[in-house]
Amino acid sequence: MKEKIGITTTVPVEAIIAAGFAPVDLNNIFVTSNDCQGYIEAAERDGFPKSMCAWIKGLYGACMINGIKKIVGVVQGDCSNTASLTEVLRLRGIDVIPFSYPHERSAENVKNELDRFMKLWGVDLKSVEAVRASLQGIRGKAILLDELTWRESKASGFENHLYQVSMSDFNSDPEVFEGELDSKLCEIEDREADEPRLRLGYIGVPPMMADLYEFAEQQGARMVYNEVQREFAFPRAGYAKNIYEQYADYTYPYDIDFRLKEIKKQIEERKLDGLVHYTQAFCHRALDDIIIKSRIDIPIINIEGDKSDRLDARTRLRLEAFLDMLCDRKEAL
Amino acid sequence: MRALGIDLGSRQVKLAVMKDGKLEDMRSYSTMSFYRNYCSYREGIRLDTKALGLSDFDMAVSTGYGKNNTNMADFVQINEIKAHVYGALAQTGLEDFMLLDVGGQDVKVTRVEKGMITDIELNEKCAASCGRYLENMANVLEISLDEMANCSSNPIELSSTCAVFAESELIGKIAEGIELERLCAGVNHSMYKRLQPMLANFKGRVLVVSGGVANNAALTGYLANDYDTVIKLDNPQFNGAIGCCHYAARLASKKVLERHVE
Repeated sequence: MKEKIGITTTVPVEAIIAAGFAPVDLNNIFVTSNDCQGYIEAAERDGFPKSMCAWIKGLYGACMINGIKKIVGVVQGDCSNTASLTEVLRLRGIDVIPFSYPHERSAENVKNELDRFMKLWGVDLKSVEAVRASLQGIRGKAILLDELTWRESKASGFENHLYQVSMSDFNSDPEVFEGELDSKLCEIEDREADEPRLRLGYIGVPPMMADLYEFAEQQGARMVYNEVQREFAFPRAGYAKNIYEQYADYTYPYDIDFRLKEIKKQIEERKLDGLVHYTQAFCHRALDDIIIKSRIDIPIINIEGDKSDRLDARTRLRLEAFLDMLCDRKEAL
Repeated sequence: MRALGIDLGSRQVKLAVMKDGKLEDMRSYSTMSFYRNYCSYREGIRLDTKALGLSDFDMAVSTGYGKNNTNMADFVQINEIKAHVYGALAQTGLEDFMLLDVGGQDVKVTRVEKGMITDIELNEKCAASCGRYLENMANVLEISLDEMANCSSNPIELSSTCAVFAESELIGKIAEGIELERLCAGVNHSMYKRLQPMLANFKGRVLVVSGGVANNAALTGYLANDYDTVIKLDNPQFNGAIGCCHYAARLASKKVLERHVE
């Protein structure tokens, strides 16, 4: 069995796989655990303050509890807390390989960082490109799943979220994951189309509380666009000439203008009625809400998650009122 | 298009009649007498519009606290937060604002962005920051609500969280011989302080104030320190009923109706 390498978010897994290791997204271990509160508590017991993002605590807990020995920590472009988290993990004896999405998204900067990263893993461009080519089939299937959501109204918002979010590490085994995706696609394709009353977009990091999707569907609204999850799946990888272009065309870690351009394109294409902008408590990304609301014309509700993996009553009430009025707007105005 | 909007409040039932976008009639009844004199119960509450002298409506919309209270036959029922937001949107012409509605027993704070509700805060468990508190305190001071509402200078400190304890505290201050204006200002200022925690997450540039308590000039004066603009709606206590009328107008002309009929 291949040694597992923890990753703190989406990284160029092609290099890790080419080096003979199995990437495992610590976020996914944390949030799908039956005891994610236990992961948070483990971090708090070790001194993580209350006023710290629950994901960071979860990543720490996931490393400690699951005996992860080596991780790739994204220290630029994703989350500035991760930089300090990697220092604490080093203190605990975990081997940390840093990776950065350069703030200035130039081809040269991205190439330099990827070359450095590949060198750290002892792999060359040729072997990484071979892995990239081998993953193209799964990436195509993720695109199909996405289309079954927004174009054909057959896949639910949650399925769209789950399978795309899993593309960050392919559940540590691309082959097995592709098999799962195949059978899921068969199941979904056989369904009758079920056009939702409201077509929503979900933007921001994946939520702590996945029941958000079910709750929205109960109100007649479906997330037919999951921004960051879709980026994890690299839907435009097929157009990228090489690994450098693929990772330069990843929106989330770079500047907000680049990110907004893709969001706006998807709002048009998917005919979205409104957006849910998710931010995590104590995360700098909350400031993005100011820019997003001023630059996007369709209605947006910002919801904030903290430690709980279930929607709280107040967020439910807020979503209900928002979706109710959005329905009025769509049907009456 | 003639619309009837009814807001079934905890203390008062407010009615508004709107024809082609213009308000024709506004009335309020005490909740008790409204149910007693104009309603009967037959598979839901039936309103005797004839006894009210109201007829010829194309559409009737009701709102109010608690689902059971608004379960009026022949009416389209809408959520009261939505009713108030529609009222404020139509009356101000604005699309981005905070709406503070202070009624007899409840307080609602709503954030409206691009014409949509994006955040809500409601009072829970306690009604000490509502109109009923002002009524009780005015009774203790043996002064009308209107007179009390204009006093804002040099308020005395009333620190009790509980409305009943605040009464005792006020009586203590009366016994100390403090002049009436300062006592009244103290009541108004204590109301403002009770609302502040609810408004803490609703900072913004424009605050629209509705509900009967919006008529309290001292309170809106204190709130003016926290916002660039504070807008008191005309007939603020009718905002929910007016919102129902505007919603009815939309319903009558558009297919939203289909959703309610489903």
